[in-house]
Amino acid sequence: MPETRERIIDVGDLEPNFRNEILAEPGGERFMRCFSCGTCVAGCPVAGMTEKYNPRRIVRMALLGMRQEVLASEFVWLCSTCYTCYERCPQDVHIPDLMNAIRNIAVREGHVPPAFRQQAELLRDHGRLYEITNYENQRRQEAGLPPIQERGDEVRRILVRSGVLEEVES
Amino acid sequence: MASRIGVYICHCGINIGATVDVREVAAYAGSLPHVVVARDYMYMCSDPGQEMIQQDVRDYDLNRVVVASCSPRMHETTFRTVIEEVGVNPYYFEMANIREQVSWVHSTRQIATAKAKELVAGTVAKASLLEPLEEREVAVTPAAVVIGGGIAGLEAALEIADAGYKAYLVERQPSLGGRMAQLNKTFPRMEDAGALVVSEMQRAMEHPNVEVLAYSEVVDVEGYIGNFQVKVRRKPRFVDAAKCTACGKCAEACVLAGQIADEFQLGMAKRAAIYQAFPEGLPATYTVDPAHCLLIQEGECQAGPPCALACPENAVDFDQQETESTLQVGAIVVATGYDPFEAGRKPEFGYGQYQGVITALEFERLAAANGPTGGQILIPGTQKAPEHVVFVHCVGSRDKQIGNEYCSRVCCMYTAKQANVVLDQLPDSRVTVFYMDVRAFTKGGEEFYDRARARGARYRRGNPSEIFWRGDKLVIRAEDTLLRRTVEVEADMAVLAVGLEPGAAGQGVAQMLKLSRTGDGFLAEAHPKLRPVDTTSDGIFLAGTCQGPKDIPDTVAQAKAAASSALIPLSMGKAKVEAIVSSVDQELCVGCGLCEAACTYGALSMHPWRGIMTVNEVLCKGCGTCSVACPSKAIKLGHFTQKQTLAMLDAILSL
Repeated sequence: MPETRERIIDVGDLEPNFRNEILAEPGGERFMRCFSCGTCVAGCPVAGMTEKYNPRRIVRMALLGMRQEVLASEFVWLCSTCYTCYERCPQDVHIPDLMNAIRNIAVREGHVPPAFRQQAELLRDHGRLYEITNYENQRRQEAGLPPIQERGDEVRRILVRSGVLEEVES
Repeated sequence: MASRIGVYICHCGINIGATVDVREVAAYAGSLPHVVVARDYMYMCSDPGQEMIQQDVRDYDLNRVVVASCSPRMHETTFRTVIEEVGVNPYYFEMANIREQVSWVHSTRQIATAKAKELVAGTVAKASLLEPLEEREVAVTPAAVVIGGGIAGLEAALEIADAGYKAYLVERQPSLGGRMAQLNKTFPRMEDAGALVVSEMQRAMEHPNVEVLAYSEVVDVEGYIGNFQVKVRRKPRFVDAAKCTACGKCAEACVLAGQIADEFQLGMAKRAAIYQAFPEGLPATYTVDPAHCLLIQEGECQAGPPCALACPENAVDFDQQETESTLQVGAIVVATGYDPFEAGRKPEFGYGQYQGVITALEFERLAAANGPTGGQILIPGTQKAPEHVVFVHCVGSRDKQIGNEYCSRVCCMYTAKQANVVLDQLPDSRVTVFYMDVRAFTKGGEEFYDRARARGARYRRGNPSEIFWRGDKLVIRAEDTLLRRTVEVEADMAVLAVGLEPGAAGQGVAQMLKLSRTGDGFLAEAHPKLRPVDTTSDGIFLAGTCQGPKDIPDTVAQAKAAASSALIPLSMGKAKVEAIVSSVDQELCVGCGLCEAACTYGALSMHPWRGIMTVNEVLCKGCGTCSVACPSKAIKLGHFTQKQTLAMLDAILSL
């Protein structure tokens, strides 16, 4: 069921400039084209699993200036970037890029979901999302695959240069 | 003759007066060289304003007039007439635009006033150098050609013919009728669309002033308003239309009978290689399809072509040749129509992949009495009546991904109509319509849409993302945006409400006539509000969906308007042509030909033996491109000479 505790929107709480913030963020340039047709939701594998994620509604909330609700939300992090909506959106909104734009703003405001933080920490420590132990390489050897090594230093440099590490550790 | 200039600065109520210090500008204008009198007035275009100018011309012996007010598009003609009435050549008038170019775009009074002064100074400087020009007239051939024999072309041709003028109606298909002939019912009155258009086709065939040139194409157009030469190529039918009684025995005898996809039925029925477009088609004659006929393709067909042997009238004639004729006309109406959006360009809807997915035009054929199923709505392939029909709006319209940003304007209504048709014929069936917005603006449209809903059509707001196949059903997956829930609707027929695109056949015609297009690809009218059926070429008019998507009433209205506009030069017997034209200085022209290549109106041509350029003053639109292209400055554009323009710039820049 959709969240039932939604109350009447207080126009005074809206931040009408939020749309300009998004428009200025790479990936957010096209989001005002949305005419709320729902094509994105209809084809979305995530929306098919949980009603928490509804890209049409996120765009609508962002357009209206529901800034805090969007940035602090869990839902902007649920997009799996499969690009189905990108292919089918009649207004060519580039929704996955928009979700990235909103995420970037959210992170700058300190809204980093725990799962994402853990992933970034894994990347920092191991250079990949899974730690490589002897067990993995033993299994690879059995399958006739060459062993792999963690390249944490290289990835960490990327994380430092791109500012991700700073955001995550702050 | 020394220049004696009167300058008039308009307040335009508060439009100019609130932003520009009009008094100050008038006082300044009075100080400029050659200015004899300068005044300001609340509305220069009003009768007292006009009379003020005329009185000053008499009192002060003015020979040039400058008005600083709105855009020349608005009132240039007004003021030209004002001075012409008191004996001054109308081209001794010049206008400064201090509304659109000053007061409406600047907010600071000081800046706006300064800019207004600059524009007035420049305009006065130019006015002092103006030369008189003569408006010329050309004789008009009292006939028109209408290109396209659909409902727009039919109505335009009939209107011109009813007014007593000759109308040539050129149609490239074997029969008149166009897209309307393929439709089943009209909205909102549910009349028989085919019968309506056939009655107009009949009228055109019988009208003494209409000459129908079917199965013919316009291949070349030369000339100008009043004097067009339109070359028409008539394709051979290989059937003598005068002898053919359309009995159909030839088609029955044809070796390929029942093997060739029937275009009129959108491939849902098969025909022979000799065919009639549709049973009510006019001219009522059969036509050999040269792309399939074995005799034409392979040089032989049995012992002798069975079609010819079967014909009781001896009408089949494989010796027929293509013929060309040139029509002399005074005006042209373009009515080249639209093409339906090719549904395969939205692969997520499975058109061409799943049998139950059809286009709305295919639905029209299915539901029409002269269609492939005799009017029974049956799922192609299974030939069973559907239990649940889903309609999808906006397929190929309002879609930036595929490049059609516009609304096709007819799909909302024809979908409501088709929903009603389904519920009429199959009362136990279910109908679901997926829409983004319902635009029911046509007269009676909202009531009609209401009726479809009241009868049980379920309208669900949301654009489907995909149509797929599960078990033995189509599944249409959409978000019901009003419920904020993703829904999967099972159906056995999905009708795609395909939009309208500019007709491919019209593209060649547009190029021949040098017509411009709007961003959506449809032909451009001269002005969206005031000149909706004119083109920027005099004597050429637009009717119907070649200019943009529209329903039948709008198409007919526009066709009648286009005919009425075309009738003006025909009935006047003469047409005014642009006075502002280019002229070539024979001493300076080196005959390089650059201007000829630059001219989009075909107004320039090299003198056959003198090696210099000549201007056809009737074709010239006075755009000035040639004078800019000319490297030796041999081309002068009247009213915009280099001397005049430089004087204007000098005056503006010296302030």
